[in-house]
Amino acid sequence: MDGKLIGRRKALKYFGFLSASAAGAEFLANWLPGSREALAGSAPGGLVAITGASQSEVAASDKGSVPQFFKPEEFSTVEMLTEIIIPTDDQPGAKEAKVADYIDFVVFSAAEFEPKLQKEWIDGLGLVNELSSKKYGKSFPGISPSQREDLLTEMSGPEHDPKLQHRGFAFYRLLKAMTLEAFFTSKVGLMDFLEYKGLAFRTEFPGCTHPEHQA
Amino acid sequence: MCSQPIYDVIVVGSGAAGGIACQVLVTAGLKVLCLEAGRRIESGRDFHTHSFPYNWTYRGHGKPGQYGKLPQGMAWKIEEWTDHLYTIPDEDPYALAPGAKFTWTRMRVLGGRTNCWGRECNRFGPLDFKPRSLQDGWGEDWPITYDEVAPYYDQVEQFIGVAGDDQGVYNSPPSKRLQPAFNLRCGEWLLKKGAEKLGIKVRQTSLAVLSQPLHDRPACHYCGGCNWGCMVGARYGSLDSVFPHLEGRPNFTVRTNAAVHTLLMDSATGKARGVAYIDAENKQEYEAYGKAVVLAASNIESIRILLNSRNRNSPTGLANSSGTLGRYLSEHVAFTGIRGFFPQLAGRPTTNDDGPGMSSIFIPRYNYGHQDKKTYLRGWRFNISTGCGMGPGPGASLPGFGTAYKKKIKELYPAAFHISGYGEGLAFDWNYVEIDPDGLRDRLGIPQVRFHTNAEYPHAFAMRDEMYGQMEEILKASGAEMIPYKKGVPYPLGSVTHEAGGARMGNDARASVLDKWNRCHDVPNLLVADAACFVSHPEKCTTHTIMALAWRACDHLAEEFRQGNV
Repeated sequence: MDGKLIGRRKALKYFGFLSASAAGAEFLANWLPGSREALAGSAPGGLVAITGASQSEVAASDKGSVPQFFKPEEFSTVEMLTEIIIPTDDQPGAKEAKVADYIDFVVFSAAEFEPKLQKEWIDGLGLVNELSSKKYGKSFPGISPSQREDLLTEMSGPEHDPKLQHRGFAFYRLLKAMTLEAFFTSKVGLMDFLEYKGLAFRTEFPGCTHPEHQA
Repeated sequence: MCSQPIYDVIVVGSGAAGGIACQVLVTAGLKVLCLEAGRRIESGRDFHTHSFPYNWTYRGHGKPGQYGKLPQGMAWKIEEWTDHLYTIPDEDPYALAPGAKFTWTRMRVLGGRTNCWGRECNRFGPLDFKPRSLQDGWGEDWPITYDEVAPYYDQVEQFIGVAGDDQGVYNSPPSKRLQPAFNLRCGEWLLKKGAEKLGIKVRQTSLAVLSQPLHDRPACHYCGGCNWGCMVGARYGSLDSVFPHLEGRPNFTVRTNAAVHTLLMDSATGKARGVAYIDAENKQEYEAYGKAVVLAASNIESIRILLNSRNRNSPTGLANSSGTLGRYLSEHVAFTGIRGFFPQLAGRPTTNDDGPGMSSIFIPRYNYGHQDKKTYLRGWRFNISTGCGMGPGPGASLPGFGTAYKKKIKELYPAAFHISGYGEGLAFDWNYVEIDPDGLRDRLGIPQVRFHTNAEYPHAFAMRDEMYGQMEEILKASGAEMIPYKKGVPYPLGSVTHEAGGARMGNDARASVLDKWNRCHDVPNLLVADAACFVSHPEKCTTHTIMALAWRACDHLAEEFRQGNV
């Protein structure tokens, strides 16, 4: 049985406890969409599906907009780079999660307390273009998708072999870390791709239900 | 002065020790004033437990650099969910001697750090109270035995509500069975089987999280967000489990935003007659008077109050005739753990593994005896976490990028494990805290502390090496694959939030600050009821023992009142 489904009687009891205090009622109203209906006894079907926070309410920073920090050509390079790290295949990737938009927002916001992050990105994007021009005679957006991947593979060398050195490695690590961070904290990355099922309301925790793990 | 009431007891602090102190003293009928340095909060309003990273502007991490440079072990605590609860170090700094490190976690709100605590309730065992005489001759024994503390562990467990089992192992006594233990996750079964193959016993975790309703508190709803505070009070915290029941009683008063800085002393009798405090909102000075004072402000804060109370008769700090006040600070030996995956679980459909927000099992200490073969003293416990978490899991730390990398992350995500440990930390006199000689003051103008603490001592490294080796053995026996790791250096004191000591108990007033009832040897109506009283620092989690000792000390204080001895 899916523990996320709470029997209606239990739900009402639980809601009753919570709504007994002003703080509890506020908590219900904020975090349990449909709780008002359940309290009013009008929930359909006798079962109330209860999830955690309203998953549709994503922060403004998650939605993407006009880049605030990067210039248009820089931004399209950030899009290309992040989509190489987490590409779209049969599953959503950096593009669907608007990773570049979020990175733009974070780097923009770094002005106040961590301005060196802005310099790292500007220098890093400059370095990527420089490496691309040296190797292929064109800046990064002008080279082919497979050339872009090859360049990133070179930059990532020390990850596979610590004896290797590459002057693009530091920026590659920054790019990778911030891409992962942006992707896996997005609704697309966490819920759609990873299929995280937690932070939910359940009446019981079944734990492992596989005899083969326990024997 | 005469127009002000004289309370029976002033309790300074409202967290693990302060909450229990209030509960015991008020229930005993004494007239109690509780002074909390922080503000009043409400769990339903001030905890943001049920929000996902993407509900926050900066995905929970704050604006880049917003929290300044955080010490080891603080970054996962101070996030957008909780940044209004914790003191951010750069905003209200403490001092460190050259080369010293200390992670000082401060939560100045009603309920203190019980609002976001780890919830695990280990009892110390008989050997833990007598390490010198029953283990290896090093350090000091506590002036009390396990049998003297056991009834208070019982009381605490009954009061706070503990889910667990009654299967103790050697020197790890069971909790009194109150509520059913939580079920095991897949990875926990695999690790348990692996450890047991090696003859290492595994225990179900005793958690101060309700698996069934208790009084007016609901059972856990398994959202897993406990570290951000529980909005419904299903885990014990004094905010929801103590204060709502005591407030309104005629013999109890809570004053929040009351930052106590010094004890008021009666020079004729040598007894404490009250405390002086600053109101954190209006910045005015106040005094409060009591027949007894219980310091329960967390070990460092309680020590700071005693040091700041130095006077002509006690020039190095109140209750410091032994010269040990602020010394013998200790913390678990802890360091980066090992992460990896179970091949048996790779690629399985994801499950909701949040459960009660904590592993259902742990590996208690097992390496007793054989001191002649050991390069370290005492032992350790291992902490386990497995399953589908709120992050990408072990695959993300592999090299590479692109489609294959992404598929690997997805495949390993439901197979994740992390194992780490807590070793016994030794209490050295050279790990100490003092009032900053350069005059640093906190935001309210109260002289701040300076730490002289170093966790990187030979015992810690020797124990660490042994622990890494043992973790690898257990993982191999469980069929787990490790992600390549580098051994970490021992974390600074305070980074597990299990800092203890600094006003240790003892029978010898020349070598300890407190007697066996947590009373200052020098000032009999002044008690220190928090972790400052710890004599040694076994591998077990500390809060349960803090609460049991606070209960015991206050029970005794109430009895002294009944006898007319205060």
